[in-house]
Amino acid sequence: MLPTLGHVAVVIALAASVFALGAFLVGGRGGDPRLLASARRAVYASFALALLACAAMVVSLLTHDLSVLYVARNNATSTPPFFSFISLWAALEGSILFWALLASGWAVLVLHRYRSRHPVLMPWVGATLAAIDSFFFAVLTWPGNPFLRVTPVATEGSGPNALLQNHPFMGLHPPLLYLGYTGMAVPFAFAVAALVTGRLDEGWLAVVRRWTMIPWIFLTLGITAGAWWSYEVLGWGGYWAWDPVENAALLPWLTATAFVHSSMVAERRGSLKAWTVSLVIATFMLTLVGTFLTRSGVVASVHSFTQSAIGPWFLGAITVALTAALGLLVWRLPSLTGTGRPSSLVSRESAFLLNNVLLCGLTFAVLFGTLLPLVVGATGSGTISVGAPWFNRVNVPIFGALLFLMGVGPALPWGRASWSSVRERFGLPVLAAVIVVVAAWALGIHGPASLATLGLAIFAAGIMLDEVIRGARARARGRREDPATATWRLATRNRRRYGGYLVHAGVLVMAVAVAISSGLSSQTSATLRPGESVRLAGYLLTYDRLVVGPLAADPRVTDARAELTYSGSQSGTLGTALRDYPNSTTAIATPSVQSALGEDLYVTLLAYDSATRVVTVRVFVNPLVSWIWVGGAIVAAGSIFAIWPERRRVPVEAVEAERLPLPEANPSAEGA
Amino acid sequence: MRRLALPIAAAALVALLALIAVTARGPAQPQTRAEAGAAIAAELRCPDCQSLSVADSHTPSAVEIRRQIDTLLSGGASPDAVRQHFVDRYGEWILLAPRSPLAWALPFLAILVGAVLLLAWLRPWQRAEPVAVEQPAAPDAELRRVRDEAEALDA
Amino acid sequence: MRNLRWLLVPIVVVPLTLLLFHGFGRDPREVPSPLIGKPAPSFSLVALDGAKVTGEGLRGRPYVLNFWASWCVPACVDEQPVLIEAARRYGSQVQIVGVLYNDSPDAAHAFLDRYGDGGWPQLTDTGGRLAVEYGVTGPPESYFVDAAGIVRAKQFGPLTLAAMDQRFGALLSARANR
Repeated sequence: MLPTLGHVAVVIALAASVFALGAFLVGGRGGDPRLLASARRAVYASFALALLACAAMVVSLLTHDLSVLYVARNNATSTPPFFSFISLWAALEGSILFWALLASGWAVLVLHRYRSRHPVLMPWVGATLAAIDSFFFAVLTWPGNPFLRVTPVATEGSGPNALLQNHPFMGLHPPLLYLGYTGMAVPFAFAVAALVTGRLDEGWLAVVRRWTMIPWIFLTLGITAGAWWSYEVLGWGGYWAWDPVENAALLPWLTATAFVHSSMVAERRGSLKAWTVSLVIATFMLTLVGTFLTRSGVVASVHSFTQSAIGPWFLGAITVALTAALGLLVWRLPSLTGTGRPSSLVSRESAFLLNNVLLCGLTFAVLFGTLLPLVVGATGSGTISVGAPWFNRVNVPIFGALLFLMGVGPALPWGRASWSSVRERFGLPVLAAVIVVVAAWALGIHGPASLATLGLAIFAAGIMLDEVIRGARARARGRREDPATATWRLATRNRRRYGGYLVHAGVLVMAVAVAISSGLSSQTSATLRPGESVRLAGYLLTYDRLVVGPLAADPRVTDARAELTYSGSQSGTLGTALRDYPNSTTAIATPSVQSALGEDLYVTLLAYDSATRVVTVRVFVNPLVSWIWVGGAIVAAGSIFAIWPERRRVPVEAVEAERLPLPEANPSAEGA
Repeated sequence: MRRLALPIAAAALVALLALIAVTARGPAQPQTRAEAGAAIAAELRCPDCQSLSVADSHTPSAVEIRRQIDTLLSGGASPDAVRQHFVDRYGEWILLAPRSPLAWALPFLAILVGAVLLLAWLRPWQRAEPVAVEQPAAPDAELRRVRDEAEALDA
Repeated sequence: MRNLRWLLVPIVVVPLTLLLFHGFGRDPREVPSPLIGKPAPSFSLVALDGAKVTGEGLRGRPYVLNFWASWCVPACVDEQPVLIEAARRYGSQVQIVGVLYNDSPDAAHAFLDRYGDGGWPQLTDTGGRLAVEYGVTGPPESYFVDAAGIVRAKQFGPLTLAAMDQRFGALLSARANR
């Protein structure tokens, strides 16, 4: 009954989305407000129906309704409720259902918020979002129907993918990532609307930047949480393997980051419109391509979903969306060429634009590396792999150059700078960077990539700190405030810049943590009898005993847990397990991670012999890894600070813009 | 202090770069066999896992490959010969870093093209006229800029 | 000249679509073997029944090395009746040799008891040495070797009767022609 209800909800949601699409198109043309209102209500209805379908699926999972194929494949009667619940997004069809829910949720949010604003743009925004929703509901109706039934009904299901039911983080990082992916449809919809109507003015840019930042924050958190998940679950002591799934999340993040930077130049100069729109389109297209790659079985990946009939649908959608968006862009190109070039090569604009070149270069490198095996396969010249060694060696220099720009950019004023007024600011930061690099060398970090990253990060941090202190000092002197108050007031009155600094600070924290943890981590593996010990990096680990038995939460799972006592800069006891899932060919390692701000002690059980009680463990001591997650949180906090609504007052930009000698007015591209 | 920082920093940076250049030019660090083996293992794909290297994996194949690397190295094989040994069995697929120079160069070529396009758009050569509006003494101008901005923000 | 910009759309869309389309129906894990046309790696291993089997001893008639594991479900389970039927069909013209891939003898015995034992030798490949020699990426995977000891084909994934007929047919007719 319930699965039928879910399926019916999906079909009606499809109908509602298609109706909304048509109504937005017709209503937008004729300007009929009642038609537009009913189009909006159809989108609201499709969201409610998607919610209903998700609820039906969740109840089916929680009650282990094995007559539903998706449940039979991804659930077992003994699956704990939490993992039953998150199975909604742990496999192909369910994840698309969840995706549709989030996509229609974003659509509701945007259409409701701007229901009485942007009357020219909104019908097109609505039509684009409704078209995207229609696609997802159509996939759910035909090739990816999550409510398919099976007869005869099995008495037991195969249970969730063992890797995905091993850690509660599975409840966190997919929703965050999906919120990021689906949210990128909103700026794309605004881009389409602006191209169709020819209204790429400053108001458009402000809306799009805000609606890019919001999913960008989710993407940032999702990527960080995903890295944390793989660190806690996969048991090899690392957090980023350049797996296609990871790359799929990184690609739109990179182009969205490039957009946020170039949009600031576009706003000041009234130019670069075609470029910023291209980045918005690229970001959305990359979310689609990434989804396609990881869901079609075209590339091999840690947790790619199984090969399915959904692939051709996604490929069709990619082709249609890309053709339409590019076609619109090319059509509008003549009216998008602004003339507002930066007046000097040494200026913040130039730094931002070079940053765009590098971010796009990074995007290209990651996409190229991900697709290269496919390209080589297509040309029939064998099968190759592109893995971490290639990605690290190619991307670290590009990332280093970005760190350098991150330092130089804020030191350069908008417009025109004279080199002599800027260069003295580099003295102290460069000095600090050199000292830190020498100290790091002395501490044992000898990898050139780690040292360079460290030095550039310190350089960038130094310049940023200097900038903040200068601002606070000037204000404190002028207004007789204490430095803390002055900094806070300056920051809250100029959220975008100071939020940006905080985001940069988070990236720098991550860069330093990655550089140091990869440069100083140590590892060993040891085969131990009960009572024997292993030493690593100041830690002494003693193997106490082996406990083998069914897992309390899921008795079908055999849990073999080695218990160890450890002492060093942290001390206590830990248990690290190998779990045998009935549906998994190999035992799944459950590493034990003892995290501290200074370093992590990371112990994986590799093998055990239940007769002799001999175990083989792999031990890592990874310094500063926790700071990578902290850095991600700082990035998110900084971006939230940046987009926090300001009190209504005279817009800063207007005041600043008046003072800047702009070479020309900003001609809006209306009426083209 | 500030005035002195720049020359000192420049000198320190030059010294550091010179030091790196000297170390890089000197004889390669004597690597132990274990280190050399680990470096090779990190560049071989673990045959029966996804996206992990032989160094990061503990499947029987990965363990066996690590053992063979060690045996080959102790027999005097060069790292390239060790890699080729596994390419002969698994194909180029086993290498996590492709050997084709184009695969390495293309991302940097793309950035170069991007930078050239950017430069072409900025056209610095078209405004070669000397900067007429030179600001007054640098520190004052700098301080004024910051103060102006701070005031503008409060306006 | 003005309309040249429209070329941008197909220049971007067509290659991307073709590339992604090309990926369909291909298993990215399927890796062609560089051993084809080369002499089969030599080995000397002990079978589950205690007999010693060597690569040289197998020469003289075509053989297939079938890497499998009891935990490889359902592919290896599906494959077992195919192998049994092929063994019956080809009799002593060819030799089938099973190689345990990352598996224990006990589990292998249990598997054979349950899904049928064709009676051909099942080699215990301790440490996966032979699997690495052949470049195996995961069970089931099979290598067809001709009478002269040259590797002629690799089958990725479960064998089918059609595949076995085709491979063995080619090997046997090549031998008859000589």
